[in-house]
Amino acid sequence: MKSETFNGSRFWNYFKYDLIQMWRNHMKAALGISLAGLVLYVAVISWNLIFHQTWQAPGFDGRMIVAFLAFCALELYQTRTYGYLTEKKAGSAWLMVPASGVEKWVSMLIITLIIIPVLFIVVYLGVDWLLCLVDHTSGASLISRFADGVSKFGALGPEDIPFSIGTLIWMGIAGFCFNYLYWLLCGICFKRYKILWGIAIAFVSSLLISIIGGSALAMHTDSVELITNEAENIGTTLNWLSGIFTAAAMCLAGGILYRIKTIKH
Amino acid sequence: MINVSNLSFAYGSKSVLKNISLELNGGNIYGLLGENGVGKTTLLTLLCGLKKPQQGTIDTDGRNPWDRQPSLLAEQFYLPDEVSPAHSKAEVFGKESGKLWPAYDQAKYLQILSEFEVDPVQRMDTMSSGQLKKTWIAFALACNARHYFMDEPTNGLDIPSKAQFRSAITKYTSEDSVVVISTHQVRDLENIIDPVIILDKEAVLMNASLEAISQKLFFDYGSEIHADSLYLERTPGGTVQVYPNTTGEESKVNLEALFNTVHAHKETIKSLGL
Repeated sequence: MKSETFNGSRFWNYFKYDLIQMWRNHMKAALGISLAGLVLYVAVISWNLIFHQTWQAPGFDGRMIVAFLAFCALELYQTRTYGYLTEKKAGSAWLMVPASGVEKWVSMLIITLIIIPVLFIVVYLGVDWLLCLVDHTSGASLISRFADGVSKFGALGPEDIPFSIGTLIWMGIAGFCFNYLYWLLCGICFKRYKILWGIAIAFVSSLLISIIGGSALAMHTDSVELITNEAENIGTTLNWLSGIFTAAAMCLAGGILYRIKTIKH
Repeated sequence: MINVSNLSFAYGSKSVLKNISLELNGGNIYGLLGENGVGKTTLLTLLCGLKKPQQGTIDTDGRNPWDRQPSLLAEQFYLPDEVSPAHSKAEVFGKESGKLWPAYDQAKYLQILSEFEVDPVQRMDTMSSGQLKKTWIAFALACNARHYFMDEPTNGLDIPSKAQFRSAITKYTSEDSVVVISTHQVRDLENIIDPVIILDKEAVLMNASLEAISQKLFFDYGSEIHADSLYLERTPGGTVQVYPNTTGEESKVNLEALFNTVHAHKETIKSLGL
C-alpha cells in the first residue's frame, strides 16, 4: 500500500507534470527575464550608434547592475509561478490532483529554488559570455570576472580571511532561499496585489525587527561590540546571519506547506 | 459510499448548510437541485475536500475528503462550473494529466472526445467554452473515478452536446460510481438523474429516488384540473399537475414541477415521508 504522505513513483509522476505545466505557463517569462542582458546590449549599441556614431557595448558595471536587477525581477516573479493557486478555477484543479500536499510542496520547492534560478543563471551568463566572445568592446564576461574573483579569493590564506568561506556561501544560499520562498509564499497567500502585499509586509517586518533588534542591542553593550568589532567578530556575525537566514527560510518553507494543506476553494 | 453527518458550513455569519445528513450510495446519479445561493456548490466542494466542514463529518469510503489523501483524490473527480484551459492540445493534456490518475484511460478519453465532436489536436486555449467543458468532461470520465462531483456540467453546452453528455455519463461511469450533479437545468438531465436531492436554505428538503417520489406524488399531464393539486402549471401542450398519489399508479416525474411543488409545500412533502 502506497504511503499517503510521500511515495517516490507518485512524486516523480507529479514532478514531471508540474515541471511541464511550469514550462508551458512560466518558463518563457523566466527565460525572457534571463535575456535582459541581451536587451541591454542592443539598447546600448543602438544608443551609441545613433547618438555617438560609435560601436560600443555596455561595460561591466552596467551589465552587473542589469544582471542584479534581472535577478530581483525573477525573485518577484515567484509570486506568479504558483500564484494561480489562489484562483478558484485553476487552484481547485491543482488541489484535486492526486498527489499529497508534501509531494506538491517538494516539487514546488525544487522548481522554485533550483530549476528556475539555475536556468536563469545559465541562460544569463551564457548570453553574456557569447556577446563578449563576438563583441570585444564588451570586455570580460561576467562569468570570467566571477571566476577571477573566486580564484583570487581562493589564493588568500586563513590569516587573510577572518571567517569561514563555507559560512559565507551558506549565508548566500540561505539568503537566496529566504527571498525566493518569501515571494512564493506571498504568491500563494494573497489573491490580488501579491507584490504590493509582499513589499508592505517586508517593510513593516523590517521596521519592527529594527526597533526590537535595536532596543535589544542597546540593552546589551557587549552585543554592540560584538557586531562593531568587525575584524575579530565578523565570523561570529556571519554565523549568526547564516543561522537567522536558515531559520527564516525554514519557517517560510513550513508556511508554504501549511498553506498548501489548508488552502480552500 | 459517502456519508454526510450533521454537516454545517457558513461564510462568516451567513449560515449556508446546517446539520445536513445524507447518504450517497454507489450506482446512483444524484441530481442536486436548489435555488441560487442555497449551497449546492458549497456542498459539492465540501464533498470533494476543497472546503473543510465547520461542523459534522463527511466519510467517503472510510476517509475524510478534507485530508486530501492521494488515494481518495485518485478515486474522485470534481468538475467545477467554470473550467480553465490548459495551454496545450486536448490530446496532450489528457496524456500528461492522465498519468496522475492511476485508472486513467487515454483511449477512452479520445473515444469520448470523438463522441463529443471535439478535435483532439485543437489547443484547449483556443476552444469555445462549450468545447472546453466537453474536453474536461471527457477527461473526467476517462479517469475512471468512483466519485464524480459535477457543478452545472451542461452549462455552456449546445443542444446536441447535452444529449451527448447524458449518453456519456450513463455509458462511461461504472456501476458502483457515486455521481452527484448540481444543476439548474433539470430538463437537460431529467432522464438520467435518480435519486433527487433538493436543497433549501440550510437544509435538505428531499432526498428520494424517482420510484419513491412517484409512489407518493402523481404527475398528471392531462387537461382535467384535479381538486387536490399541489402544483399546477399550464404549458402550451396542456397542463402539469402534481398531487398526492392515492391510487399507487405510476407516473413520469417532472423534475421542474417536482422542484416547484416541494418548494411551495414543504410541510406536505415532509408529511408524505419524502
